[in-house]
Parts: sequence; structure tokens; C-alpha cells
Amino acid sequence: MMRQRFSFVKSRRGLTTFMTLGLSILVMTIGSPAQAASYVPVSGAGSTWSQVALDQWRRNVVQYGIKVNYAGTGSSDGRNQFRNGTVDFAVSEIPYGLKDGGVVDSPPSRGYAYMPIVAGGTSFMYNLVIGGKRVTNLRLSGPTLAGIFTGNIKNWNDPKVAADNPSLALPARKIVPVVRSDGSGTTAQFTTWLSSKYSSLWNAYCVKAGRNSPCGVTSNYPVVPGGGFTAQSGSLGVSGYVSQSANVGTITYVEYAYALNTGFPVAKVLNKAGYYTEPTASNVAVGLLGATVNNDSKSSAYLTQQLGGVYNNSDKRTYPLSSYSYMVIPTRQEFGFSSDKGYTLGAFAYYFLCQGQQQADVLGYSALPINLVKAGLEQVKKIPGVDVKSVNIAKCNNPTFSSTGANLLAKNAPYPPACDKQGAAQCTTGTGGQRNTSTAVTKGSGSTGTSSTTGSTTTDTATTSGAVDPAGGTAVQGGGLTGEQSQATALTVPPSTGWGIEQTSVIVAGIFLLGLVIAPPLVARRLRRRGGLTP
Amino acid sequence: MNTTVVEQRPETDVAAREIRERVGIADLIFRGITRTSGITVLTIMSLVGLFLAYRASEALRAQGFKFLTDQAWEPDSRNFGIAAILFGTFLIALVAITVAVPLAIGTALYISEYAPRRSKQLLISLVDLMAAVPSIVYGLWGLFLLQGRVTGISRWLTTYFGWIPFLHVDGFDKADPLAGPAGTLTSSTFIAGIVVGLMVTPIATSVMREVFSQAPAGEREGALALGATKWGMIRSVVLPFGKGGIIGGTMLGLGRALGETITVYLIISPVFSVQPHILETGASSIAATIAGKYGAASAFGTSALFAAGLALFLVTLVVNFVAASIVAKSRSGAVSDA
Repeated sequence: MMRQRFSFVKSRRGLTTFMTLGLSILVMTIGSPAQAASYVPVSGAGSTWSQVALDQWRRNVVQYGIKVNYAGTGSSDGRNQFRNGTVDFAVSEIPYGLKDGGVVDSPPSRGYAYMPIVAGGTSFMYNLVIGGKRVTNLRLSGPTLAGIFTGNIKNWNDPKVAADNPSLALPARKIVPVVRSDGSGTTAQFTTWLSSKYSSLWNAYCVKAGRNSPCGVTSNYPVVPGGGFTAQSGSLGVSGYVSQSANVGTITYVEYAYALNTGFPVAKVLNKAGYYTEPTASNVAVGLLGATVNNDSKSSAYLTQQLGGVYNNSDKRTYPLSSYSYMVIPTRQEFGFSSDKGYTLGAFAYYFLCQGQQQADVLGYSALPINLVKAGLEQVKKIPGVDVKSVNIAKCNNPTFSSTGANLLAKNAPYPPACDKQGAAQCTTGTGGQRNTSTAVTKGSGSTGTSSTTGSTTTDTATTSGAVDPAGGTAVQGGGLTGEQSQATALTVPPSTGWGIEQTSVIVAGIFLLGLVIAPPLVARRLRRRGGLTP
Repeated sequence: MNTTVVEQRPETDVAAREIRERVGIADLIFRGITRTSGITVLTIMSLVGLFLAYRASEALRAQGFKFLTDQAWEPDSRNFGIAAILFGTFLIALVAITVAVPLAIGTALYISEYAPRRSKQLLISLVDLMAAVPSIVYGLWGLFLLQGRVTGISRWLTTYFGWIPFLHVDGFDKADPLAGPAGTLTSSTFIAGIVVGLMVTPIATSVMREVFSQAPAGEREGALALGATKWGMIRSVVLPFGKGGIIGGTMLGLGRALGETITVYLIISPVFSVQPHILETGASSIAATIAGKYGAASAFGTSALFAAGLALFLVTLVVNFVAASIVAKSRSGAVSDA
């Protein structure tokens, strides 16, 4: 009895010590980051198309104490969550108000505005092998792509595919189109193109899949049961599926960045001028010169894009499936969006509209042109609680900026080599994540493949990861195309101090996990030894 | 503890003594707490059901009986039903159970009968840890690692057993050397089922192990004394005794497999038609449909998803209920004690 009492007292004392310790840790945590006290975490959801860029920017601003949470759950989900007020911002490739499957995606009741965040190309990443060698220089024309993704072209040796690729001995392999199973902005971009350029093929396919015709733009790709298509969720899902070595014969539509990250080639797509082009930063920039942007600042669809002009852009360098991605920002303090959050979101927006754009190229995107950056900076002012800054955009080191106002990235974009012209024996150089692997000519005689790179990108993909590593404190330089650019504002990255609360929590979590494995048998054994528990 | 007070009455009273029970305060409080929590759980459960039914009513009213027979899932075109996805759900669960049950019985028998006493607890906690791995991790593992390696088995099965209807794969040509797994053998019911099977193994294992270890020592010793080998003893004593546990564990696993969401969602390529070929690309499940479609659903589409959720809720409820009653019955001691 006495002993029990003693142990009780002891454990109470232990408890007190523990609580004091806990309290002091709490005080320490609250006290330490005084300089970033006014930043509060903001959260968003939506597009996986632009997620690679967003994730990089999010990591980069951590050094300023800005914490942005982002869930890549698909554009449709992002817009829905923003409408329901469960996130502070959404990222989407398409605006509200479009009709999908006969139902209008109604705009939210909360105040909102669109802000362009990055440009890029919806690319066609594929996994094709000829004679044990990966094909890296596939070319596809619009009708061929439409045929593939509506189930009309079923084999890689189809005459239409062969006509696009005179130098490839295409195998008699099945084409497996991989589409998105979730509501996706990438799907919406692709089906916008399909429905505007190849509406009869597209509508016939939709009807076969049980949809009403005309099908039009949809975020949910219709799949015909037993049609040989495979549907996967998220950009990571489709690119991951295509990149599995066993899945030869697959092709999917996904943002260029995912092809770079998985190290897979993308198809060069035929443009209006008769050249097959790759969605490099400069080709996207050229293509988007044809985009019509809603310039009516009174309209709720202010800054949204009309891409018909991009599809039909007659510049030789155009990548036809180029587009912008948007952030849907809140403009009123409601649904839990406070001015503190506005302050944080505003700072984040200033970062990615200015410095963030210079990384677009290496990440697999294209920087926003000057007019959209300016308009975006104006939109930031609508966020309640934002600390309005006047940004000198000349110092953003955005590769599209020039002192004359012309889009420098587009202006200096290299012209495609002769071997990219329709009909000519195709270039042997690789594309996308396989840029350095060329493909041997397996058919035909004309080996005009030049060694010139098809893109303007001076940064090799192999160095990408190093160049954008925020921990290393490297400020990524832009394309570095010309001296016309003004000097970049150096991105001051404090050297990593090594130990912080994150590291401690990781260690604690590790110990917890270890304890979870080790503790139960030990405790049980001890209990049994005491006779408290019979096996 | 209840205190029974027997009142003393005068001896002349002929009637039986009245026995009154006076309940102590501690007992009252304890009973109150347990009763409240029990009722709360039941209330929440029925409220969830009611909520589902309420939100589903719009879709159910629009679709009526067709909701049970339609296969497509295009709510915005008023063309949807759970025939395909309910069938797909059961198919995945069936594959999962086929994988999980032998594995679980083996593991449970090993832990309860063969494992050295020292490693027993470690094994138990390892199995429990397997249950603690988040389903998204299983999903990613299945998608990126298992799928590429298991399609060889799918190919072998369909090449030699393709004449069995459910192992047939449409569009698979075994004579075509270039036929890769993509589009024919990946993202199938089979692959999703294997992964889900691994996920439900721990729960089935722990139920079975617990029942096996309760097999009466007297009967075990009796069997051994009569000259049975260890395996003979297990067959004649442990397994018959644990039959209820095996069935119950299987049913509990089935209940979990039916509702498994994110793993299935990641692996399968959803199709909305009855797809009995388990090795073929294309599968479906109610939970995965909800996970995949809710984000982009219109108001009516959401109601349709609630209706699907209601169906899953009811099915899971029944399965778990049956499982619980079987487990309970098996524990009440069908076989004599030692």
C-alpha cells in the first residue's frame, strides 16, 4: 500500500515535470519565428497540370516563412472546393461557367477573380519501343491525335501514324490511350482542342461512350467500355502509368513537366504552318501570341483565354496545344478567408508572378508574357489584406520581358529545323525527358536528322534538379537569352541553418514509429513476466 | 457492485419477501456513461444512414428502379445506376478475400501454434503494423511496383486458362509477341484485388489468431496424447474450434474490402459496365467511383454519388453484422472447455 502510494506521488511529479517541459517547448515554438509572425498558412487545391510549378514555388517561399498548402486533386475538384469555401484558392485551367455534359459549372457565390500563373503545353507523352530501342522522335498530326484519342486509330503501324513518321518502322503494336479518370483541367484543355478542331470525330466518340451529343468541352474524359483505353487519376497517375517499362504502346496527354520529370519523350505535334513542334517554353510562348485574353476588367471572366487563335497560329514555331493556367483568388473576406491569409497569399502571388516565372522553363512550363504579369499584379490587389507592393517587373528576370515590351522569349525562339517539316524525313533528335537520346532511322533513306536542338532551352534537363534546388540557395537564372534583359534581382536565400523544428519533429516521428514496432512485444513480455497477462 | 438488501419483515407476513435492488451511485454513473456512449454510436450510425438517404433521394427519385439495373455512370445525362459498380465492388472484394484468407489462416496458425514464444509478440505487432500502413501507400505500391510485376501472372493465367469465362481477356492475343500488358492486363480487378487482399489480411489474421489461441488446451493435449501429430492436432482440434473465427474474420475482411477506396481508385481504370473478366483492364467499385467523381460532380451528380454511397453503406452494414454475429457465436464456446 505504502509503495503504491509512493509510486503515485512519483508519477505525479513526473507528470508535472513533463507538463512544464511541454509548456516551455510550446512557448519556445510560439516565440521563435517572430519575423514571420504575420504569415499564416493558406491552402489551395486543384490543377495537377500546373502542380509541378506550384510545388516548386511553394518550396521556394518557405524560406520567407510563407506556408502554402496545395492539394493536386484536379481542376474540377479545386473549383468545387473553392466554391464550397473549403480552400482559400483554387488552380484551374478552365474558368467557371463552362457547360460540361449539359450542366453549367456554376460560378461561386463568394467573390473571386482569375489570375494567370503560368503557361505551358499539354504534351503527348508516350512509351514506344522499336527493336528494343525507345523511340524519342515521334511526330503526330492533329487528325492522327484525334483518331488515337477517339479510338479510331488502334495500331502504331496505322498508315496515318506512319505518314507522320516516315523514318520510323512502326511496330504492329496496339496503341493504348491513357486518359484521366478524375475531373481534370488537362482533359478540359485537350477536349477544347478536340471539340473545336475535330468536332465530328469527337462527338461520335462521345455518343459511343454514352454521352449526349454535342459533347463539347468536358473535364471528365468519356471512356468506352472495352475500347482499349486506360483511365488513371491525376497527372502523376497517367504519367506514372505510361512510364512503367512494361506499358509499351501507351500514350497520354499531360503537361510537359511530367514528361521531363519521368524522363519520357513527347510527341511533336503538327502546327498550322506544317511543322512538328515540341512544347518547349519558347514554342509555347510563340503559340500563345495567338491567344485571345479577355481584357474587360469588369467581366467576371477577366483574363480568361480563348485558344482558337493558338490552334491556328501560323507561326512555324507554334506549339498548338499551348495554354495558360489560372489561380482563382478570393476577393472578399468570407468562408474563413481572413486578411492575414490575404497578406500571405498576396506575398506568394508577388513571388511567383515575378521571380517564380524565371523557373518556368526548367520546370517544363513557359513564363507568362509581360501583359499577363502586369494584369496579374493588378489582380493581386483584389485580395483582401494584401500588402500592395509596386513591383518593378524589369527586375523579375522573366525571359519574356524586354525593354521594348515585345515578348522576348517568343521573339528569340529558334525556328524549327527543316527535318521537322511535314513530309520530310524526320529529325532523329529526342524530345521531352529524352532530349539527349536520339532515335535511329529505321525506315526510309532520307536521314536528314540534324543535331540542332529543337528547343531554345539552354538548360539541360539533366541539370534541372540541381538548378532549382532551393536548399542549395541557387537562384535559378532565366533563359539567359540576351543582354537586353535587366539584371536579375538576386534571390537571397539564407543558408540552411541545419536544425529546426521540422528536423526535430521528423526525429520524434521516427522514434514514435520505432516505438510502435518495438513497444508492444516488450510491454507484453513484461506484463506476462509479472503474471498480469497469461498468454 | 450491486448490493441487494433483503428487507426483514415481520414473521407473520405470509407473502414472499420483496427483493429490492439498490444501485450504488458509482454503478449508476458507470451505467449512464456506457449507455450514453452506446446510444450515441447507434444514433450517429442511423443519422449517417438518414443523411445518406436524404441526400440520395433526389437521384433515387429521378432514376427509380433503374438505379439498380443501369450500368453507366453519367448522372448529368440522367443515365446512371449501380449495377456495374456494385458488381465490380463485389468482384474486387472476392479476389481480395481469395488472396487474404489462405494468407490469414496460415499466418494466424503460425503465430498461435508454431511461432517461438519470443517472436510471437513481435509477429503480432508486425501484423498489426501492416494494418496501420495507410491505404494510399498500398495504392502507390500496387500502382508503381506490383502492377508491372504481376501482369506476368495475369498473362500466364489468361493464356492457359482463358477458356474459363472470368479469366478471359478481351483483346488479348496470346500469339502476338508484341502484345504488352498495357491496355489489356493492367489496372484490372485482379491487381486491385491482390492489393486490397493484403490490406485486409491483418484484420482477418487477428480475429483468427485470437480464436485459434482459445482452442481448449485439454482437447489439444488429448489429441496429442492419442498420438496425433501437431498438424493432426491442428486439423482435428484447432481448425474445427476456430471455424467460427475463420468465417467471422473472412467476413470482417470482406466488409473492409468492400469499402476500400483510395487503393482501388489509384489502381483501377474505371469502366462503367459489368466487367466479369477479372484479369482485363477496367474495373469498378462504388467507393472508388465516389472518390473519383465527387470532386467534379454537379449538384445532381453529388446526389447520385450519395445514392451509391447509401447502397455501399447498407451492403457493408449487412456484411459486418453477419460477421459480428458469427464471431460472437464462435466465442460463446460451442466446444466444451478444458
